Amino acid sequence: MVDAESFVEEAVAEIREEVGDAHAVIGLSGGVDSSVAAELAYRALGENLTAVYVDTGLMRKGETEEVRETFSHMSSLRIVEAEDRFFDALEGVVDPEEKREIIGREFIREFEREAKEADADYLVQGTIYPDRIESEGGIKSHHNVGGLPDVVDFEGIVEPVRDLYKDEVREVARELGLESVVAERMPFPGPGLAVRVVGEVTKEKVAVARDACHVVEEELEEYDPWQALAAVVGKGTGVKGDNRVHGWIVAVRSVESRDGMTARAQELDWETLQRIQSRITGANENVARVVYDVTHKPPATIEYE
Amino acid sequence: MRVVVIDNHGQFTHLEGRALRDAGVDQEIVDNDTPPEEIDADGLVLSGGPDMDRIGRCAEYLELDVPVLGICLGMQVMADQLDGRVGSGEYGGYADVTVEILDEADPLVGSLAPETRVWASHADEVKEVPDGFTHTATSDVCGIEAMSDADRDLYGVQWHPEVAHTERGQEVFENFIARCRS
Repeated sequence: MVDAESFVEEAVAEIREEVGDAHAVIGLSGGVDSSVAAELAYRALGENLTAVYVDTGLMRKGETEEVRETFSHMSSLRIVEAEDRFFDALEGVVDPEEKREIIGREFIREFEREAKEADADYLVQGTIYPDRIESEGGIKSHHNVGGLPDVVDFEGIVEPVRDLYKDEVREVARELGLESVVAERMPFPGPGLAVRVVGEVTKEKVAVARDACHVVEEELEEYDPWQALAAVVGKGTGVKGDNRVHGWIVAVRSVESRDGMTARAQELDWETLQRIQSRITGANENVARVVYDVTHKPPATIEYE
Repeated sequence: MRVVVIDNHGQFTHLEGRALRDAGVDQEIVDNDTPPEEIDADGLVLSGGPDMDRIGRCAEYLELDVPVLGICLGMQVMADQLDGRVGSGEYGGYADVTVEILDEADPLVGSLAPETRVWASHADEVKEVPDGFTHTATSDVCGIEAMSDADRDLYGVQWHPEVAHTERGQEVFENFIARCRS
């Protein structure tokens, strides 16, 4: 386990040395990795760091408001409303890798504009070790690994948490006083809710995934999962109020893990599962059924795409 | 005390480095095409990986006369390069597996007896151990879960002692490190 106190000291010094008096930009997702990278960079660079948060429309419930609050001390925080541009770009796309590529590309586009406007020479990224491993191994691409540096002509890229595992990043987050981020946020994928809807990304499916994820996170808090989520996986038949419904199938997943490299599906009690089912089908008229995923990692990954 | 991890492009290679680091020994992860003469180690870990065709110079590392721990594909490499046999399993070994220890006196896995819960991820498996090796562990989904040649200090486990879900994985590394010290 990394020693958080000395890590912070070294990381801040390293960023300061690398960037010097130049200007840097970071993409803030609201997750723990980019939050830690942003806070480290802010301590190193102060006003010379521009933090950009892109609201892709693929964020969790309440996420944008929380980011605004957590990072209110950063005077150069910019919040970009890009929902419509992301949904337009994703229209008709079903292949998971293509979805990730498009989201990465759209991010780049949003960023390029903001980075140019901020006149940034350096890019700071919250890439952590498993991101690199999975990208290198060809299992999944992570949007914060590929793409961006090829398009924007940065002088350098700084990845202050590149050698850390998630549990270590959390330690560092606590050291940085980001308790709220650690406490409230489970790991959330870079491409957001787009990978929690199997197939085409539509506003309707994303809205279902967003609400269902919120229900799952709330109901499973006492199980202290590493990650708990819901995904829209397809359509099935149901019957609601004497009417046939051809509605969404929502898969619920809750796993425990140390570092995300392996995971165990959690054993949940029946009442909890039933409450989740009832809340999701009750509040979303277009959901026909809810299922629970019992697969460990391996053979499954934690997320659906 | 220094243990080198040979990276066979496995998902968990970095965790092997971490387990060694957590055990308090110097460790380094190197590519599997590193020339053997450049490797300075008191022990070697052959990592897992996706493909027997991408094992680089692993065969040569078995000749370095230091203790070797082969994990998953690393164990299969050992069987394949010596005179054992590797083939595809009838039943893929994934995630939670209960392993029965067959040899309580084995320096690597004997301390885990009578059984231990492990995390696995493999389709192929060792079908016959090489000459000089003892078959030290088994499970319902894979006949040969571990093998040892204590005279040559060559050890293999089919599961992943480096991942958090393997219950006593760190103990396997500590047992291996004890062999590297002796």
